[in-house]
Amino acid sequence: MISKRRPGSQFHPPFTAETGYEPDFAFPIPFTLCYHSSMKFEARGLVKVFPAPVFSGGSPLRALGGLDIEAGPGVLGVEGPNGSGKTTLFKTLAGIIEPDGGTILAGGVASGAERLRELAAYCPSNPRAFYFRLSAAENLRFFGALAGLSAVQALERARQLADKLELSAADLERRFDRLSEGNMQKVSLIRSFSRRPPLLLLDEPFRGLDADSQQGLMELIKEAGRDSAVIISSHSPELLREAAGRIITMEGGKIKNGE
Amino acid sequence: MKSTAHIIAAFIRRDFLAERSYRLSFALGALATLANLAVFYFIGRLFGGALAPQLEPYGAGYFTYVFTAMAFFGYIGTGAGSYAGRLRLEQTQGTLEATLSTPLGVLPFLAAMSAWNFLFATFELVVYALAGIFVFNLDFSAANWPAAALVFMLSAACFAALGILSSCFVVLFKRGNPLAWVLNNFEGLLGGVYFPVAVLPAWLLAVSNLLPVTYAVRAFQLAVHRGAGLAAIGPDLLILAAFDIVLIPASVWLFSLSVNRARKAGTLGEY
Repeated sequence: MISKRRPGSQFHPPFTAETGYEPDFAFPIPFTLCYHSSMKFEARGLVKVFPAPVFSGGSPLRALGGLDIEAGPGVLGVEGPNGSGKTTLFKTLAGIIEPDGGTILAGGVASGAERLRELAAYCPSNPRAFYFRLSAAENLRFFGALAGLSAVQALERARQLADKLELSAADLERRFDRLSEGNMQKVSLIRSFSRRPPLLLLDEPFRGLDADSQQGLMELIKEAGRDSAVIISSHSPELLREAAGRIITMEGGKIKNGE
Repeated sequence: MKSTAHIIAAFIRRDFLAERSYRLSFALGALATLANLAVFYFIGRLFGGALAPQLEPYGAGYFTYVFTAMAFFGYIGTGAGSYAGRLRLEQTQGTLEATLSTPLGVLPFLAAMSAWNFLFATFELVVYALAGIFVFNLDFSAANWPAAALVFMLSAACFAALGILSSCFVVLFKRGNPLAWVLNNFEGLLGGVYFPVAVLPAWLLAVSNLLPVTYAVRAFQLAVHRGAGLAAIGPDLLILAAFDIVLIPASVWLFSLSVNRARKAGTLGEY
């Protein structure tokens, strides 16, 4: 069960003329990133084929085979065996890799990879994609800047999220390569959550976390799911079912029949 | 504009903090520069103050010539080498995909990626200048600094474009970079950095005339040692400007294509 440890949403309220909600990005980014926090995302007939390396004698890998998916404010769980295409799906929705076929709609509008990188934040299953010689806080400040956050915003959000995830202030100031694997995972989660994106993609987010931190993450996922589309994967059926209101199963690059 | 400045500042801060954490490397780098200079200083003493015929157009002795060219090439060469080097580092430490997963555009990325290298090269250039004046007693009183600055800007932009082109190979092939190989091994040899190109045989001189560094070094030497103005170095400046007009947009376009191709092939995170 999820404990109600801390009140207050980490995410913005939806924009209305009455609320007067204003974007808090440090510089202008396409307005939809700031305002469309209740956006629906749809993928239709998504295909991704990775070519075999030249002269390798191998064959192309069909990672996504015409997949349809819908996510839109709320939490969607994705399960499936290794190699079923979950990570490829996440990276395609995040605009990190480009699909070979199909369409991705964001708020009903067909969106390419560039647009998706503005709308989505992806937390990879491997938490080591950081600058090891910099502190966790400096890393978050840097990646925050790339996402349009000022230093003050990035560090303030990092502190709030670190508190939720049981990452101490000392660990936040510690050099990244001196963190434990679990704490690296927390920093990786903070990097994604702090963008407060309309689409949050969490690939194996519970990996390496202790029980208290898992509960903190569960709260954050629920909070994010109120305004954003959150898609998570996990090899733990219990955690996935606790976190997500809806679960789909992938197999061979497709959604398993009947789901 | 504000956003690009914000991004550049973030990259500079990141690279400064990372560089500062390797203190010994930082100190050894500075010592290597001084050791390099000492080699050419003693070569210059060996051959005395007499001007070789090939140096006469520049009005400078061998050490003065090579000192100026090394200081100049050290800076403009930063653009040629740093893009591919930085990108390769990002690949191997696994941060390239994370960086390019953000809304960051190609232009701000290219502007920011080597900003620290250029800043550090500027610092080195100041050290060179101070050493030249106060340690080696070189005479720059004849210099036409505005003309030298113009050569400097055109050359730095041209070499940055070559560096961006070179980094396309890193994005696509990870290792094996023929352009970096040419830049590293032949620009100094054929471009007049260590000696005037006039000493080269005719067939190598023809190759040398295809390289922007030849025009850059010659124009800079003439502006600094002879006080040459636009009339004297105009043809070299025009050729450098022509290289810029072609190479800058081509390099940015090809870099975008390379990144898009890596996204398509799913190899952005590979190394």
